[in-house]
Amino acid sequence: MLEVRDVVTSYGMIQALKGVSLAAREGEVTCILGPNGAGKTTLLYTIAGILRPRSGSITFEGRELAGTPAPDVVGRGISLVPENRLVFPQMSVHENLLAGAYVRLGRDRARVESDLEAMFARFPLLKQRAGQAAGTLSGGEQQMLAVARALMARPRLLMMDEPSLGLAPMIVEQIFQIVETLNREGITILLVEQNARMALSVAHRAYLLEQGRIAFHGTPSEVSANEAISRAYLGIKGG
Amino acid sequence: MSDYVVSLLVRIGVEAFVALSAYLLLVIGRISFGQQAFFVIGGYAAGISTALYGAPLPIGIIVGALAAGLAAALFAGAMARAGGIYFAAGSLARGELARVALLSFHHQVPVGADLTGPAGADGFRGIRALFTSGMSVTAYMVAIWGLLALTFLAIALLLRSRWGEAIRMVGEDETAAAAVGVRVGRVAGLTMVGAGALAGMGGGLFAHYATYLEPGHADVMLGVHSLAYAFIGGLGTPLGPIIGVAFDIGLLESFRFLAGYRMIIFGGLVMALLVLRPRGLLDEVTVHRVTRRLAGRRA
Amino acid sequence: MVDFLQALVDGVMLGATYALLGLGFTLIFGVLRRLNLAFGPTILVGIYAGSHVGLAWPGALAAVMAVTVAAAILAGIYVERCSFRALSRQAPVVSMISTFAVWMQLQELVSLFAASRTMPYPSPAWLPAVAAGPILLRSDALLMWSGATAIMLALFVLLYRTRFGTAVRAVADSSEAATLMGVNVAAVGAAAFLVASAVGGLAGVLIAQSQQQVTPYFGLWATVKGLTAMLLGGAGSLSGAVVGGVILGVVETQTLWHFGGQWRDLAAYALLFLVVALSPRARGEPSL
Repeated sequence: MLEVRDVVTSYGMIQALKGVSLAAREGEVTCILGPNGAGKTTLLYTIAGILRPRSGSITFEGRELAGTPAPDVVGRGISLVPENRLVFPQMSVHENLLAGAYVRLGRDRARVESDLEAMFARFPLLKQRAGQAAGTLSGGEQQMLAVARALMARPRLLMMDEPSLGLAPMIVEQIFQIVETLNREGITILLVEQNARMALSVAHRAYLLEQGRIAFHGTPSEVSANEAISRAYLGIKGG
Repeated sequence: MSDYVVSLLVRIGVEAFVALSAYLLLVIGRISFGQQAFFVIGGYAAGISTALYGAPLPIGIIVGALAAGLAAALFAGAMARAGGIYFAAGSLARGELARVALLSFHHQVPVGADLTGPAGADGFRGIRALFTSGMSVTAYMVAIWGLLALTFLAIALLLRSRWGEAIRMVGEDETAAAAVGVRVGRVAGLTMVGAGALAGMGGGLFAHYATYLEPGHADVMLGVHSLAYAFIGGLGTPLGPIIGVAFDIGLLESFRFLAGYRMIIFGGLVMALLVLRPRGLLDEVTVHRVTRRLAGRRA
Repeated sequence: MVDFLQALVDGVMLGATYALLGLGFTLIFGVLRRLNLAFGPTILVGIYAGSHVGLAWPGALAAVMAVTVAAAILAGIYVERCSFRALSRQAPVVSMISTFAVWMQLQELVSLFAASRTMPYPSPAWLPAVAAGPILLRSDALLMWSGATAIMLALFVLLYRTRFGTAVRAVADSSEAATLMGVNVAAVGAAAFLVASAVGGLAGVLIAQSQQQVTPYFGLWATVKGLTAMLLGGAGSLSGAVVGGVILGVVETQTLWHFGGQWRDLAAYALLFLVVALSPRARGEPSL
């Protein structure tokens, strides 16, 4: 569904991605692991069209995506749940969800309204807080809002950047349940996570990004079987 | 030297003080649209001390600078830590506040046969200390430029000193400056006081040349121009603002056929320069490169 | 007591136009995070253009108003191109400095084409004054208030009930998140600028018909009123700008009644100064 080939992205002189290739297959959860500064967020921002790749190609559903401006990327069915949530703090929960549906707000207002109801049914907590400013929600509530907001654009590929960051273990559990549910409903998911154990438990395929390069890829069991990786990212003592 | 050239040079010299004043604030990272307030405060104070109380001209100029410095200290006390648009808006308010306050400032005393002193909207006439002292206008112009040269040297030396280091750090990043032990409030406050005194000195010098001042001299365009001079000349050296003034008044205003379009052309030049060189003609990098080359040639 | 009430009513009517100026300022500042100090001078251009039309065709009030708004929008587009779009990669402060360079240009431009410093502006003379008990509602003030209120209502509908409004508020809240939602931030910024210029032009019509004349000083005057209303309301809040404008209007008319004309501007500038000096946000704000 999504194919990234030899993508190079730089900030000025510094190359953050030094030729990354990976694929996210339709209907699967693909996760990208890696240490801080490996280029994980840069990769998602490049796919989302916020950063332009210097070279390489990105195809989505067979069509070229690299260089497409961010608004059009959302229109083509890719949504990003950004790191640290980035909800609209002054706007209400309800308005945040409407903003999520921005790309289709003009033409199918009626479906947006019904999706809104569906979203409130899926996340009853958000319904309770509908009129509240998003900045006043707790971290876990904001994460749910960020996911719901991304879903309002009706994406076929949902990218999530560190959804567990700074959240209590119980909330993390909930977030990953949501990831599994969404995937079961047919949404392809590209997940960037520091919490490797959690990510591998829901993923079909995993990539390891180190210093702007893919260092390893395989199924979750292959990753767990690799002693060096397990020691570095899963905290499992070798032997 | 013709009277016209002398008058032009006086104006350039006087406005250079206000431009240097705006420049000092830019160095500490503050945008001021209100340095004209200190210009008129200095001018009125200098005029009052010479015309009303018979102080000699140099004392009058010093009194003007001190009064403006005091006013700047009061202002700095109110907003030393305010930055960004808040400081800019506050300075705009300050400039207009000074102008409007002078409109209702009356303080006339009998000097000889006449009443002399600030008379509200009619302004402050009869500041004649320069002409009663017997000094020629040309000599006065030379004195202004001498003072300007001294001021320039003082600022250049100051910016190279340890204090200058602190001032620059405050301009770059206040939090980082505070983290390495710079007393941000004190450095910013004292710089504002010094900048105010400089503008006030310009005001005193101008008042004695023109022999009168009026609230209209605190027009916001003086402040805005001074800021533009400081900005287009460049943040790299205190020579920048002086070049800016000389360019605008010396070049554009002396072309008579440009008379009606001066602000349109000058404004356009500023706008173009901001696109091409957002830190002015002589920015830090250029200044550094030129100094290094000069030093290399000497060696 | 009647004096106090009369001044209060006058203040609210005057303040409604200040609120409009504050809203224009807030729209631009909120979306672009940059200050447009040439906002007043763009309105000045509009009013001068309107004044010329009024001199050429006496009585053509609708044409005067249309030309005023259109010229303000044109001047606004000029400011947006030169000081914002061309400088979008530079620090916000560079835009602010560029706007006062434009300000110099616009101010000189209007004086170039004006026969005298003070230009007349027509007012709908047929409107009667209304007396509500002991309070007199002057026709021009009534027009200011009703016009400004109608424009504000329309603006709030635009911002809170349309897709464009959602985009504007999303960008103002977090431009990064808005990009992720598919909002074209640059286009929304330009459009918000256009709307702000139109609101400014309309405010210009309302103010000029009340004062029945205009001088080049209007540019600074309008910028300061708008800036004060915006900062009083907390810099960035739309409803705050409305409240700020009304407070400014009431402070001015009350000072006028109790102390006299020369204190009115002094009070207005002192208010701006106090807001800036006392604002808790002034300290926390990152260098713009």
